[in-house]
Amino acid sequence: MSVDGVATHAHPSAPGFPAGRRPGPWHPSRQERQEALAALAFLLPGLIWFLLWTAYPLLKSFWMSFFHWQILGGSTFAGLAHYARAFADPVIRTALENTLLYAVLSVPGQILFGFLVAALLDSITKGKVFFRVLYYIPVISSWVVVSLIFMYLFHSEGLMNYVLVDLTHFLPRHVPWLSQRGTALLVIALLGTWKGIGWSMLLFLAALQGIPSEVVEAASTDGAGGWQIATRVKLPLLRPMLMFQVVMLTIGAFQAFIQFYIMTGGGPMNQTQVFLTYMYKQAFDFYDFGYASAISFLLAAVILAISVVQMRFFRQDYEY
Amino acid sequence: MQSFGKGFVCPQLAKTVALGATALLLLAFFMAPAAAAAKVTLTFWHTYNTQSPEEKVLLEEVIPAFEKEHPDIRIQAQGIPYPDFHQKLITSVAGGIVPDVVRMDIIWTPEFARMGALVQVDRLPGFEAIAKGAFPGPLATCAWQGHYYGVPLDTNTQVILYNKKLFREAGIQEPPKTFAEFAEVARKLTKKDASGKTVQWGFALPGPWAWYFLPWVWSNGGAITDAKITRATGYLNGPRTVEALDFLINLYKEGVLAPTIAQSGLDSWTGLGQGKYAMTQDGPWAFPSLKAQYPNLEIGSFLFPAGAGGKSRSVVGGENLVIFKGSKHPKEAWEFARFMLSMKAQMEMATTGQMPVLKAAIQEPYMQNHPYYGIYLEQLKTALPRTPHPAWAKMEDTMQQAFQAAVAGKVSVKAAMDSAAEEIDGLLR
Amino acid sequence: MATAASPMAQVRKQGLSRAALARRVGSLAIYALLSVGALGMMMPFLYSFSTSLKRNVFAFEFPPQLIPLHPTLQNYVEAWTSNNFQLYFWNSLIVATLTMLLSLVVASTQAYAFARLRFPGKNAVFMLYLITMMIPSTVMILPQFVLARTFGLLNSLPALVVVYVAGGIPFQTFMLRGFFESLPRELEESAYIDGANRFVIFSRIALPLAKPALGTLAIFSFLGAWDEFTWALTVINDVGKRTLPIAIRLFQGQHATQWGLVFAASMIAIVPVMVVFVAFQKYFVRGIAAGAVKG
Repeated sequence: MSVDGVATHAHPSAPGFPAGRRPGPWHPSRQERQEALAALAFLLPGLIWFLLWTAYPLLKSFWMSFFHWQILGGSTFAGLAHYARAFADPVIRTALENTLLYAVLSVPGQILFGFLVAALLDSITKGKVFFRVLYYIPVISSWVVVSLIFMYLFHSEGLMNYVLVDLTHFLPRHVPWLSQRGTALLVIALLGTWKGIGWSMLLFLAALQGIPSEVVEAASTDGAGGWQIATRVKLPLLRPMLMFQVVMLTIGAFQAFIQFYIMTGGGPMNQTQVFLTYMYKQAFDFYDFGYASAISFLLAAVILAISVVQMRFFRQDYEY
Repeated sequence: MQSFGKGFVCPQLAKTVALGATALLLLAFFMAPAAAAAKVTLTFWHTYNTQSPEEKVLLEEVIPAFEKEHPDIRIQAQGIPYPDFHQKLITSVAGGIVPDVVRMDIIWTPEFARMGALVQVDRLPGFEAIAKGAFPGPLATCAWQGHYYGVPLDTNTQVILYNKKLFREAGIQEPPKTFAEFAEVARKLTKKDASGKTVQWGFALPGPWAWYFLPWVWSNGGAITDAKITRATGYLNGPRTVEALDFLINLYKEGVLAPTIAQSGLDSWTGLGQGKYAMTQDGPWAFPSLKAQYPNLEIGSFLFPAGAGGKSRSVVGGENLVIFKGSKHPKEAWEFARFMLSMKAQMEMATTGQMPVLKAAIQEPYMQNHPYYGIYLEQLKTALPRTPHPAWAKMEDTMQQAFQAAVAGKVSVKAAMDSAAEEIDGLLR
Repeated sequence: MATAASPMAQVRKQGLSRAALARRVGSLAIYALLSVGALGMMMPFLYSFSTSLKRNVFAFEFPPQLIPLHPTLQNYVEAWTSNNFQLYFWNSLIVATLTMLLSLVVASTQAYAFARLRFPGKNAVFMLYLITMMIPSTVMILPQFVLARTFGLLNSLPALVVVYVAGGIPFQTFMLRGFFESLPRELEESAYIDGANRFVIFSRIALPLAKPALGTLAIFSFLGAWDEFTWALTVINDVGKRTLPIAIRLFQGQHATQWGLVFAASMIAIVPVMVVFVAFQKYFVRGIAAGAVKG
C-alpha cells in the first residue's frame, strides 16, 4: 500500500540526527544501536499495549473466520467456506451497495459544506470561535444520541413530515422515512453529512490558515482577483488536505455501524444492512462467529482496496 | 485546560500525571473484587426497563425479602436492555463469565440448553413441587430433550385491546368473534377526513414481527411446522397460514390497518392512547403503562377472533429462570429460583403486570378480582408456544423477512412463505 | 455635509463610502450565511431539547411546538435521579479522563519515536498501524472479551480504559507523528549535540512544542471514550459500573420510547464533552492541521 501521500514519506533531511541509514542489511554502528534502543524504550509501552489488545484480537478473529466456531468448544475447520458463502449471500451484496451508497451520499456533502463554511469563516474576524464551536457540536455528540435525534425528527409522525407535508404541502403524504430502503439510506446519509461537516470544516480551516500570507499577497499584487486566488492559489494548496479527508471519511463511511444499528437495525427485510450491522447480526443473533469474522475481513479488504485507489488517483492528480 | 496545557510542558508534572493515572487504574482494579467479599453474591440478570414498576417492586420488595430469609446470600440484580440481551448472554457464555441466575425469554431456553450453558434442574430438591404447582404450558418451555433446564417465572399472552369510547361512538355492542366480524368492525372504526386522509384506523398490528402475526395464523388454523418440528413446507406456506396473513395484509392495503404493520406511523400504544387506533393487540404489561400515560383512556379487551379454520388462539410469552453452568454458587442460585416461585414472590410481581405461573396463585382473590388478568387467563387456555427449537432465532428472522416483503407488496404472501418454508426446512434438517 | 468640500472631494468621499458599503454588505452576507447554516446545524438539538421539556404524551403532538406549551423539568429530574444515572455519569467521566491521559502518554512517545528516531522495522510497524485503522473494531469484541477475562478485568472500568487506549493508538500515533515531523528539528539537534539524552529532549523540547496536537488528541480520546457503546455494553455487567451511552439506551424502551426522557438524558450527556471541547478548542485547529497532513 502506498501511504506516502498521507504522511509517511521520509523526511528529506535524514531522520535521527546523523546521516540517513544506508540500504541493505542492518549493521548498526554503536550510535545507531543506541538510537534503536532509545526508540525501543519510547515504543515499547504503546507497542505492547497495541499488540496485546488490538493486533492479537485481530489475528484471533481472522483465525476464527476459517472455522465453524462453537462458542463452548468443538469448533471444526471450515476452510474458505465462510468466504465462499459471503460471495453467494445476497444480503452481502445489498450491504455492499448500501455501504457504497452511504459513502457516496455522505462523503462529498461533508467535504463540500465543510469547505464552504471554512472559507466563510476564514474571511471573517469576529465571532470565529463562536461559529466554529456551533458547527462542531454535532461532531462531538455521540452517535447514539444523534441517531436517536434523527430517528425522532424523521419519525413518520415527526417534525420533518409535519414541515414537508402539513405545513408546506411539499410532499403529498407522510413518508415512512426509516421503514423503506431508499429514504432510510437518505436520512442516515443526511445524518452522516450533518455530523461530519464540522470535522471537515475544521480541517479546511486549519489548512487555510496554514497558507502563508505572502503567497496570497504575491498573487494579489500580480493582479489576481478573489476568485482566482481561491481557485488558482488556495485550492491547489489544499489538495493534500482534500485527499486526507476523502480517504479518512471513506474509511469512516465503510465502518458505519451505530447509526444503522439504532435507526433501522438493518431492516426491513435486510434492505438497509451495511457490513457491520449484518456482521453483528450473524455474530450475536445467530452466534455464527466464523461467518461474522469473514464478513469483517472482507470489509477490511474492500476498504484497503478503495483507499489504495483513492491515494493513487490523488497522487497522480497532484503531481501533474 | 490552561493549567493542563502548561502542566504537560513540565516533565515533573507529566510524570505525576502518568503516575497518577496508573495509580488510579491500579486502585480501580483492586477495588473491584474487594467490594464483593464477605457473603455469597448472586448476579441476577433481567430485562425490566429502568424506572419501570417491575424493576421497582423487584428491587424494593422481592429481593429484600429474599435476602432477609437468606442473610448469607446477596442478590445483585442487573437490568439489561432487551434488544442487547442476547448479544450479552452469548458473549458471556463464550467468555466463560456468566451470571448465576437469568430471567430469560422462554424462547431462548432451548437455544442455551443445547449450547450446554444451562444447569439441568429436574433433580434438584423442590423441583417436583414446583413442577406440580405450575401450569404445564409455561413449564414445558423449560424442557429440552426430555430434561428441564429452568423453571417458569411468569407467563403472558396477547389479547385484543380497544378504545371503549371509539366503540361506543361507532355503535359497536359486541366484540367480534370471527375474522369476518373483526374485519367489519375494523372497517367501521376507520375514519377519513374531508381530504381523504385517514385520521382513525380500525386496528394496529404493532409491528411486522412473528410475535404479533402468529396469533392470527393460529386462530385461522395455520401452523409454522408439523407437530414434530421436522418441516415447515406444507405448514408455513399452507393454505390456512397464507389465508391468515393475506387477511391482515389485505386490510392494510384497504387502509383499515395502521401503518405500524410496515414499521411506520405512531407506535401502537401512542396511537391507542391518542385515539388514532381503535384496536391493537398486546400483553398485560400494556395496561399499567397505558393507564399511567393516558389516564382518561378507557381500555377494553377481547379474545382474538377465530378464522374460518380455527379457534381463538394467541401466543404464549413469558420468562423462565435459568441457572448458568458457570455459576460458582448453583445451590444458592437454586434457592433464589425457588424463592421466586413461592406464592409470596409470585404475588408481589403480579402487582406489576407479571402473571404468575402457579395454579394456586390464580385462586387468590387478588387475581380473581383483577381488572384485566381474567381475559389473559382465558386466552392462555388456548394459546400456543412458539416453536421450541434452538434455531428459533433464525426461523423467526426468516418468517419476518418474508412477511415484511409481502406487506411491502414485493411478492405475494404465498410466494414469500414458499421460500421461507424452504429455508426453514433447511434449518430443521 | 457638502458645505465646505470641493466637488472632487465629494466624489471621492462617495466612492469610498460605496466601497465601504460593499464591504459591509459582503461581510453581512457572510455572517447571514454562517448564521443560517449554524441554525440548521443546531436545529436537531434545539428541537430535541424542546422535547426534553415536554411530557411524553406531547412528544408527537400536532402541530409540533418548538416552544413547549407546558414546559416541565420532570424529565431531567427523572433522568438524573433514576437509579444510578449519576453514577454512570461519573463512571463515564473517570473512564474518559483516564483514557485521555493514558493516550497522551502512549501516543506521544510512540509518535516521537516514529518521527525522530531510526530503528529497524519502523516502516513495517507503522504500516501495521495504518492497516488496523481499516479493520472494524467490532470484530475484535469476542477475542478482547476473552482477553479481559484472562487478565481478570471483566466487569471493571479498567477494561474499558485499556481497550479504548489500544483502539486509539494507531490513529493518534499517526496524527502526532505528522505533527512532530512538522516541527523544526534544529532545537533538538543542538540539544543532542550538547549531550542531552533523548528523554529530556522529548519532554523538555518536543512535547511543549506539540501542545496544539496534544490538545487535539486529548479531545479525540476523551470523546471516543465518552461515546463508546458496544464494548462497554459487552464487558460491563455491574449496574454500578455502567457508562452513559448504556444508560441512555435503557431509556429507549422495548415497547415505546419515552422521547422526553431519552433527550433529557442525552442533553445531560452532552454537557461534559462541550466543556472539554470549548476548553481545548484553541489548540484544535493548529493541532489537527499539522498532524493530519503535513503540508
